[in-house]
Amino acid sequence: MADPIAHPVGPARPAPAPARAGRREASERRLSLLLLWPVLGVIFAVAAYPFALAVRQSLSAQTGEFVGLDNYARALQNPLLYDALEATGVYALLVLPTEIGLGLGLALLVHRMIRSTAVKAVIFVLAVVPLVVPPVAVGVIARLFYAPGYGVINQVLMRVGVIDHEIGFLSNPVLAMLSVASVDVWQWTAFVYLVLFAGLQTVPRETTEAARVDGAGGWALFRHIEFHYLRPLFVLILFFRMADVLRVFDHVFILTGGGPGSSTLLLSLYLYRIEFKFFDDGQAAALAVTVLVVVSVLYSLVIRVLPVEKG
Amino acid sequence: MAATLLRRRGRPLAWLVLGLTGLVYLLPLYWLLVTSLKSKAELYRGTVTLYPHAPTLEAYERVLVERGFWMLLRNSLLVCGATVLVTLALGLLITYPITRLRASPRLRQGVLNRALSLRFLPPVAVVIPYFAVVRTAHLYDTPQALILIYSLFNLPFAIWMLKGFLDEIPAEIEEAAYTDGGDRWTVFRRVLLPLAAPGLLASGIIVFTFTWSEFLFALILTATPRSQTFPVGVQGLVTQFEVIWNDMAASGAIAMALPLVLALLARRYLVAGLTFGVIREK
Repeated sequence: MADPIAHPVGPARPAPAPARAGRREASERRLSLLLLWPVLGVIFAVAAYPFALAVRQSLSAQTGEFVGLDNYARALQNPLLYDALEATGVYALLVLPTEIGLGLGLALLVHRMIRSTAVKAVIFVLAVVPLVVPPVAVGVIARLFYAPGYGVINQVLMRVGVIDHEIGFLSNPVLAMLSVASVDVWQWTAFVYLVLFAGLQTVPRETTEAARVDGAGGWALFRHIEFHYLRPLFVLILFFRMADVLRVFDHVFILTGGGPGSSTLLLSLYLYRIEFKFFDDGQAAALAVTVLVVVSVLYSLVIRVLPVEKG
Repeated sequence: MAATLLRRRGRPLAWLVLGLTGLVYLLPLYWLLVTSLKSKAELYRGTVTLYPHAPTLEAYERVLVERGFWMLLRNSLLVCGATVLVTLALGLLITYPITRLRASPRLRQGVLNRALSLRFLPPVAVVIPYFAVVRTAHLYDTPQALILIYSLFNLPFAIWMLKGFLDEIPAEIEEAAYTDGGDRWTVFRRVLLPLAAPGLLASGIIVFTFTWSEFLFALILTATPRSQTFPVGVQGLVTQFEVIWNDMAASGAIAMALPLVLALLARRYLVAGLTFGVIREK
């Protein structure tokens, strides 16, 4: 105990008198197990039972008889699956770079150019707004922008005289994909912005000032200093947003329903279609099990590089 | 010197970019509100108007009263309220041992990791198995099914947020209460819980906001206004044959009003919740 600096001060409680500490520690450990295990057990059951059922369903025909991996084979042979995978990939390639680029640009802009704390506070509030608008409402807004007959983009373009009849934002496959992606960008760029802006606040002012005195320009400042503080956050954003691309459902369902054809049929809409439009329980269960296993395996690989608290 | 000069020269451009960005974010909300305030007569006129010539609340009244969406609003409030209570109770049961008692670090890490993993699962892959379970358990089209599943899937956020808040409460305060002769339950209730109250409130608000927005589970697990939540009603207006723009817009505006107000109140905690505590606002 001679050197107090050697002992990091953390949230751990200070050690009480040694004689009582042992007894106390044992009783706390007992209580923690007593509280934890029943809850964790119930949660495990509630989470694992449906999964077990899904595995069984994925190995059975509609009639209930065991068919081995037939459903998995049918799932893999369905050409629509590859359309869905392609649409999901295109969507990811459209939204992820755009959101990260715009979010980073805005974060750097506000961080470097805006001095007033009041303005920063206003920007913070505005950035929170898109994150909490329910995706269903965002879908409604997108319809009011793109839908034929009322969409404000067409209305304005026609009034200004740029076009003389409506652009079919939702009936042209390419434009439909862009429309759907634009909604994602509108909603989630704010997330990237908030995370990176918060990250920029952790860069010590003295470091950037010193670099500036040494003549570092904006780009050098970012590449050699700020980027190092932001790197773990880029990892976080990338993995969270990649997981989100697989989760996207609401606004696409409302805006295009996966169409026209299968041009915006993202993976989650595809699974929905197989189960609730084609009522193919076996194939849907096979897909669901595959997706859950693949995502869980990817998660266990990724968790080590995620910058979240570890132990 | 050069830097200040650059900043001064770049400033008008910065404001221009920020102004345009602000427009991109506010115009959609403007168009939603404006559309919801238009009358049916105005919509049936030949040309689309860019602002309501005679603003009226008739669309809101029609949605809530004539279409009976007040029932969906009630269901949403009930489901979200119950989900918040269940999630916070479970969250405390899990986070109290891993932050205040000497649960082993491996257990703590295991719980946190598993919780985080739920954040990565695509809901549609989850809902397919649950659909079968809910049907066989006769919970199809009941609020209970939604409350159960929402509680489970919001638990990760609650665990990570509560963990953060509980870790911040100094152990010395509890220590002092124990020395004064308090037993564990009393100290938990009288000392820890009041100190954790702001954190509980913030977590509750954020779970409420997420639950309020949820659409896929509600779409699949409910069928009638008896248990449908508000977002399901909104979607019903969109896919109708004859789309009534003002009703659709009004329902969208109602759907976003409550989460907007709540999240702005808890805005300092929202980013922490969304990033599992990686970003902490001070």
